[in-house]
Amino acid sequence: MNQTDRPIPNPIVMLREEFDDWAVLYNPDTADAVGINPVGVAVWKMMNGKRSLEQIVAEIGNSFVEVPDAARDEIVIFVSTLAENGFVGLELERKA
Amino acid sequence: MGSTIMPALNTLYFYLTEGCNLACRHCWIVPHFDATGQHSPSLPVELFETAIREAKPLGLSSVKLTGGEPLIHPHFRRLLEIVRREGLRLIIETNGLLVTPEIAVEIAESPNRFVSVSIDGSDAATHEWVRGIPGAFEAARHAVINLVDSGTRPQVIFTVMRRNAGQVDAMVQMVEELGANSLKFNVVQPTARGENLQKDQETLDIADLIALGRHVEQDLAPKTKLKLFIHYPLAFRALHRIANENGGGTCGISGILGVIASGHYALCGIGEQVADLTFGEVGKDPLAEVWQENAILKALREGMPERLEGICSRCLMKEPCMGSCIAQNYYRKGSLWAPNWFCEQAEKAGLFPASRQGTTSSQDSFTTNGNAN
Repeated sequence: MNQTDRPIPNPIVMLREEFDDWAVLYNPDTADAVGINPVGVAVWKMMNGKRSLEQIVAEIGNSFVEVPDAARDEIVIFVSTLAENGFVGLELERKA
Repeated sequence: MGSTIMPALNTLYFYLTEGCNLACRHCWIVPHFDATGQHSPSLPVELFETAIREAKPLGLSSVKLTGGEPLIHPHFRRLLEIVRREGLRLIIETNGLLVTPEIAVEIAESPNRFVSVSIDGSDAATHEWVRGIPGAFEAARHAVINLVDSGTRPQVIFTVMRRNAGQVDAMVQMVEELGANSLKFNVVQPTARGENLQKDQETLDIADLIALGRHVEQDLAPKTKLKLFIHYPLAFRALHRIANENGGGTCGISGILGVIASGHYALCGIGEQVADLTFGEVGKDPLAEVWQENAILKALREGMPERLEGICSRCLMKEPCMGSCIAQNYYRKGSLWAPNWFCEQAEKAGLFPASRQGTTSSQDSFTTNGNAN
């Protein structure tokens, strides 16, 4: 099966939201943790294996005011970094 | 296991004199009261030069001049000249009493400098209750003004306790009006006089301290031109502050060594209180040997942060935090690996942030590299 462009969270990773709308992603298997900002939290919540990365970028653009031009690239890097560190995977193609 | 690569010795903390011209209720060094600096042991100039000369090949780039009160050192101006000559970053912690316009101009001759002035109240009565000497408030305010006028925008350090906690907002306004660059809120450490202050219930309890931190970071910081910091362990600092600013709350001992007035190397200034944490004599023991071979420093390099105990062993922030203050932890428990008192009390009160705790005790690591900006 091939990978799609639809990111999906590693199900074991915990999103721990904090008082300032930032959050910690914590992987109890590897004990790795990462701090993410409010946009990162929104991206994390949109990743469900059904939305493509482009759809997530578009939805972020509609959800926040004054989204900078660089947002798309930063979101792509963000998701790639999470994937490299095992926080995120890419949904596999399913045969009909 | 922790890295055993030899870190650079970035900064020497010079505790220049065993005397101080104030008598602060919360001081963790406990210097002798000495209005002029003539009656207390102070670090000889030649040992100051020797330590710097031996530290430069190890990576020295800055020195902190502290005390006691560093400006009562009988040859303070000569020390400033040496720091300039050696091209080092100059850091000074002072109570401000002796920061005359002339001294402020001389400090400003160091191109790379950072000065902090301690002011513990927004009025004279409060500051002088803490500091013990009439006139200290106006002198400290004028120190800030003299520094600003000569081109150095200092940091003001305010140590929070019951007596002055109601003046936090007023301090922000006052320090902004004085033209300082930043305001740091320190927590009283339960060491030496600070321990007595805590026993006398003059310090804030853990819930109040955490609430104060939130107030500073969330309410006050966005509304002022000043940079505001609260110096408590990293686990309590807001993530957006950690990601965007360097606000302290971590132990920098991997790149720092203390030099105390007796001429000994020490784990920062705690060596004046705890003989176990002095490492050799300046001029007699080669600094390279002390830095590379001392058993305590080697143990810290090999054991941190994995050997931290208690709540610190489970904290996701332990790698950058390093127990927040190893010297304080050792003073309290006699162990390099003891947990920080602040975090321990918070855990006991159910106030340690759940989001910052791991579920294992040895391998947790934390990064902010995954930020989506």
